[in-house]
Amino acid sequence: MLGKKRRLSWAVMIDGRSIWTLNAVPKHSQYGESLRRFKGTEYRRWDPTRSKLGAALSRARQTQYDLLPQEGDTCLYLGAGHGTSLSHLHDQVCGANNEKSGRIIAVDLSPRCLRDLVHLSKIRPGLVPVLGDARKHSTWGVMVSTKVDWLLQDVSQAGQAEIFINAVKRFLKPEGKGLLSLKAASERYSDTDEREVFDQIRIQLEDAGLTVEEQIDLHGLEDNHCLYYVTN
Amino acid sequence: MWLWYDWRAAAVSDSNGNIIDVEEWNGWKDTDAVCSRLDMIAHEALTPEAERLSERFPGAKILLHGDEELPNANWPIPSPEALDCLDRAAILLSKRGVDAAAGDPDRRLEHILRASDELRASFVTIEGRLVEWVGLFLPEARFERDRSGLARKVINTKNLEELADVLGIGIPPVGPTDAEWDSLHDWAQSVWEIKNRLEKMEDVVRELASEHLPSLSALLGPILAARLCVEAHGRARLARLPAGTMQILGAEKAFFNHLKTGAPSPKHGHIFMHPWISRSPRWVRGKIARTVAAKATIAVRCDAYGGDLWSQEALDAVAARVETIRSENSTPPQR
Repeated sequence: MLGKKRRLSWAVMIDGRSIWTLNAVPKHSQYGESLRRFKGTEYRRWDPTRSKLGAALSRARQTQYDLLPQEGDTCLYLGAGHGTSLSHLHDQVCGANNEKSGRIIAVDLSPRCLRDLVHLSKIRPGLVPVLGDARKHSTWGVMVSTKVDWLLQDVSQAGQAEIFINAVKRFLKPEGKGLLSLKAASERYSDTDEREVFDQIRIQLEDAGLTVEEQIDLHGLEDNHCLYYVTN
Repeated sequence: MWLWYDWRAAAVSDSNGNIIDVEEWNGWKDTDAVCSRLDMIAHEALTPEAERLSERFPGAKILLHGDEELPNANWPIPSPEALDCLDRAAILLSKRGVDAAAGDPDRRLEHILRASDELRASFVTIEGRLVEWVGLFLPEARFERDRSGLARKVINTKNLEELADVLGIGIPPVGPTDAEWDSLHDWAQSVWEIKNRLEKMEDVVRELASEHLPSLSALLGPILAARLCVEAHGRARLARLPAGTMQILGAEKAFFNHLKTGAPSPKHGHIFMHPWISRSPRWVRGKIARTVAAKATIAVRCDAYGGDLWSQEALDAVAARVETIRSENSTPPQR
């Protein structure tokens, strides 16, 4: 058992095929994931079938150690949903009671999702939920006072790449990390192969001046999805 | 010259990015006040600081923090303490947004309509069970006419003999045990209760729909109006639908089957529930559905975009048109 474990960061650990994050809210399971103690500290299992970021971490070949933000970073998460990935991200960036002084701004359009995120922000300080449209920077952009170190977008709507490129230009620091989770079915190329869609999007990202460090196909964990890890 | 502003400060720089003047706001410790400022900015209004600076420097180009056009300069971005206040305000603002969602009639209508649908589905099952159950013990009884009155009758009787008396039929030699009768009696009780609850719930749907979609409710009836609205995911989206979509809303399965296999296209979706269509002969239903759907799209647009409530004359005109279609096509078409 011992030999198989390796650490991706202070809070994230890979044990065999499963990923674990140091639980910032001990004894609390966010979405029904299992909790387990390793040498006295409690970890939460990051379910790769529930979280695209988790899926990308387990599928990444070259960039597994670079994908996540550093502790204490400022992060922007567009399309935060119900907070599944977000809770693990918080474990890494903020830790218990925000001991690492990180900041995660989580934007979502749906009041139903925001309801869950507001609850989450109560037990996880450092998390800032924002109700807004990921495309309309003017309504909530002022809440991002400095450029961010790390940006993840998961919005599944048409024109995802364009939204991402605009967000990167507006919010990401130079040398920052950007992650785009792309749902092929949301793009309107109904008769082309999804691989072709993924390649087209890659070209679109590169044309916008971004460096695609790795294109991670999430097939099997999250079908028709692909995650791009880019730097600017 | 540039005028930069965010929720807490405003500054003016010359074209080389040197800061000339700064106005700061010191009220940021009050979370409520920060909220109203964020609101102000979201609505594209200028903050008082920016306003003051723009009077002082009328030539400066005013841009919000983060705008691509702004030059790199040492803009007075908030201190960490101010940022903490901003975070608190953002959380409060999100909470308010979530609270405001409770005022959205589309979502309220959806829950109550789906709930009443679910209740009706279970009502039909348990009522059917009651009829079969009583029918087992009283094979002579016939309830085709009055299924819903049966529950009432069972509740008001103390045993099977009494019930047979009320129904005016004889008693077979084998009957239920006392405990079995009690269970049957309780079952009838719940049938009755669910029936009442269902009626109350549908009244609420009618009330909400008549308020939210007054013209469409007047045209099609509030329950059907509510169903169309929920099916389209909200009034604003329903109002944008073309009449052809309105006509087959609720018949998606048949419609996509038609596109895929070339099967006959559906002529009506939920709109079939309206007696104009369901009570008309088969061969005119499509024609009437088309007319009614076209009128319904106009009605819902009146509701969604603040138009006038449909007058009785307008409603009568639609009814007259439907009547004309019916009389013009009184015999089935010849094949």
